[in-house]
Amino acid sequence: MTLQVLAPVPGRVIPMGDVPDPVFAGSLVGPGAAVDPSRTSQRVVAPVGGRIAKLHPHAFVVVTGDGRGVLVHLGIDTVQLKGVGFRLIAAEGDEIEAGTAIVEWDPAVIEGGGRSPVCPVVALGAAADDVRVVAKGGEIAVGAALFTWS
Amino acid sequence: MIDAKAIVAGLGGAENIIEIEPCATRLRTEVRDSSKVNEAVLKRAGAIAVVHAGTAVQVIVGPEADTVASDIDELLE
Repeated sequence: MTLQVLAPVPGRVIPMGDVPDPVFAGSLVGPGAAVDPSRTSQRVVAPVGGRIAKLHPHAFVVVTGDGRGVLVHLGIDTVQLKGVGFRLIAAEGDEIEAGTAIVEWDPAVIEGGGRSPVCPVVALGAAADDVRVVAKGGEIAVGAALFTWS
Repeated sequence: MIDAKAIVAGLGGAENIIEIEPCATRLRTEVRDSSKVNEAVLKRAGAIAVVHAGTAVQVIVGPEADTVASDIDELLE
């Protein structure tokens, strides 16, 4: 079944290869797409429905009913912030729907601290051919279709 | 399944590891001697990839990184 993966943040869609991190740019943990977020305080939403399998302040993984994991990473090297600038709304283990608010942050603050706020959205372990980016290069609203995972 | 013991071996053993910190999909490690890091051993242990920058070595293991890091912490204690 083809899974619709939604934009977790509003902003501008960029190719994964343009993410300033070799692990994401090289799709080492999986293919997907990234969003360069608008620089406003915002609620990050779940890209798919399922269970929050991992929840860090700066990143989370939602696993769908059929076992597919989607990783959302909020900014690059943001693990170093140790949670400062992120406010969790949901909890690890929660069963959630696509579009449910997970965490609140302000990309402008991350950028002000000298880090890229770009958000890679990764289809964990997927083959490159299984992911089709539906929103290319333009502006995207939070919760709009970002890519499909067949 | 990631073999924590083999990850430690691939990083040159416990005495070569200064720090291990889990990120969402990777172990960020700081080692004393990067020439003791063995990428083939790390990959056999379950690592997807290894990214080197001097003595900072990132071992890409996937979303179980935090579990692997706590397993390694137990081994190092």
